[in-house]
Amino acid sequence: MGQLLKDIFSFGDRPLIERIVLIVFVVVGIVFPWIVGSAYGRAVMIKFLLIALFGLGWNLIGGYGGQVDLGQAKNVGFGAYATALMMLHWNTPFWLTVPVGIFFATLESFAVAYPMFRLRRHYFAIATLCVALVWKELFVFWDWTGGARGVEIPIRTTPDFTYMQFGEVGYHYFIFCLFMAQFLFMNWFRKSKVGYELQAVRDNEDAASSLGINVTWTKVKAYCITAALGAIGGSFMTVYYLYIDPDLVMPLDLSILIAMTVMVGGTGSNWGPMIGAAALIPLDMYLGAWLAGTGHYGIDFMIYGFIIMIIAAYEPKGIWGIIERTAKRR
Amino acid sequence: MLLEVKSLVKEFGGLVANADISLKLEHGEIVGLIGPNGAGKTTLFNCIVGYYKPTSGEVSFEGEDITGWPAHRVARMGIARTFQAMKIMPLLTVEENIMVGAFCRTVDRRVATREAQEILELVDLKQEALASPTELPIATQKRIELARALATKPKLLMLDELAAGLNPLETKEIIQTLHRLKQERNLTLFLTEHVMEFIMTISERLIVMAAGRKIAEGTPERVAKNESVIEAYLGERYAEGR
Repeated sequence: MGQLLKDIFSFGDRPLIERIVLIVFVVVGIVFPWIVGSAYGRAVMIKFLLIALFGLGWNLIGGYGGQVDLGQAKNVGFGAYATALMMLHWNTPFWLTVPVGIFFATLESFAVAYPMFRLRRHYFAIATLCVALVWKELFVFWDWTGGARGVEIPIRTTPDFTYMQFGEVGYHYFIFCLFMAQFLFMNWFRKSKVGYELQAVRDNEDAASSLGINVTWTKVKAYCITAALGAIGGSFMTVYYLYIDPDLVMPLDLSILIAMTVMVGGTGSNWGPMIGAAALIPLDMYLGAWLAGTGHYGIDFMIYGFIIMIIAAYEPKGIWGIIERTAKRR
Repeated sequence: MLLEVKSLVKEFGGLVANADISLKLEHGEIVGLIGPNGAGKTTLFNCIVGYYKPTSGEVSFEGEDITGWPAHRVARMGIARTFQAMKIMPLLTVEENIMVGAFCRTVDRRVATREAQEILELVDLKQEALASPTELPIATQKRIELARALATKPKLLMLDELAAGLNPLETKEIIQTLHRLKQERNLTLFLTEHVMEFIMTISERLIVMAAGRKIAEGTPERVAKNESVIEAYLGERYAEGR
């Protein structure tokens, strides 16, 4: 037990500079709402933490596992809908809806994982994308889930910890805590047996199986854990936006954005998703708002695409790869 | 008896890669498998460790029938192997490569780390522990493969052309390492090789294959004088030189 806690909280094997950056990040996360007063600024920060959170989860299958999954939005949707529907129909408290979302996301992922992992590389990517699209269409046409109209959550007038509704500052700390919890989970994961097995499978499947690793089962496990992590963020989206529909929580854009975030930031490092989200989200939100204001709507997507092309062409390991290389040279 | 192969056949389409191969390995032996290119040595290895399913025949390990078992189950049974074309995990460090092997027997990271440290010491890789394996010379990479296989705590270690691409000095070093390992770790070794100095020195017994068949078996001295082996593989000059 003590060793488990140590594995979760210890960054002792990482360079000093990384530990300092982490402390700075935590401090900034805590004082942020006091420094930034504007609602938009806080919303940008929440979006950043949310996408970074999704990135952390995706990094497990996409970075450590090397399997490009373009369907993470379906798991976000399972989490979001579990929370929304249980709150709407049965007044269930938030923290009881989260395990249900995780359960369905994991169950579905387990069910589709075996046929999916018969495919490799881009064929696997396309399969994940298709499955996610199918689920989105199902939710659009299913009356009980509100169909395309979506689900509205009953709004509370006072801050409420049972249904997790409060002001901007409350949501900031809420998502910050979720993010840190997942960050610590990933800190444990990178040192764990399953973490090493997954990286071995990514690097060389033949070598991995010669060392006693069941390649398919390792991928399936990773796919399911990623699904569970995605569902948690989905539950947050429901109580944050108070209204969800398939276009908000299950779109292809979201799947792509999650994967992009990690690829731009750097796969296989827990810093990657944070760096990626920091590079993409403020750019997206500020630039998007400014350009839309000047009537040049859409240029932000071009800039976006351009950055991604540059990074894909020159540094496949993302921004983190650039940082690591510079650090090594010194 | 540690390993027994009974009339194993492996066909690819119409091509017979292994035809009716039978062999036995006792505990603690060092057995070499030689033969010309395309004789079916690597195929036989792959059939034993579960990369291929034999077309017919039987493989048993410590009395248990392991024919057609998937590779990871065979590895957990206690058969480790290295690859002819090296398969190092490029994004992990040398130490992590070996830790992955050690995780075969434990879930505890500390135990795996300790095991990896011990093995790094054993195969003289301490200096390179934190290096990226693909930046290291071939001879070192071969040691990493060996160390990684060793970390799974095998009873039988199967080495597919471990000395290929090494210079004579490196070959000598790896022979020393193997002898040391065999004693300290109580291993049985089964190896294929084209480097004759290597396999003739280290093997206690040789099995010779040609065109998918086993054509001879015996001590290195007797095999070197065997007419059909000279004809199929060694050549007149090698026989005269001895």
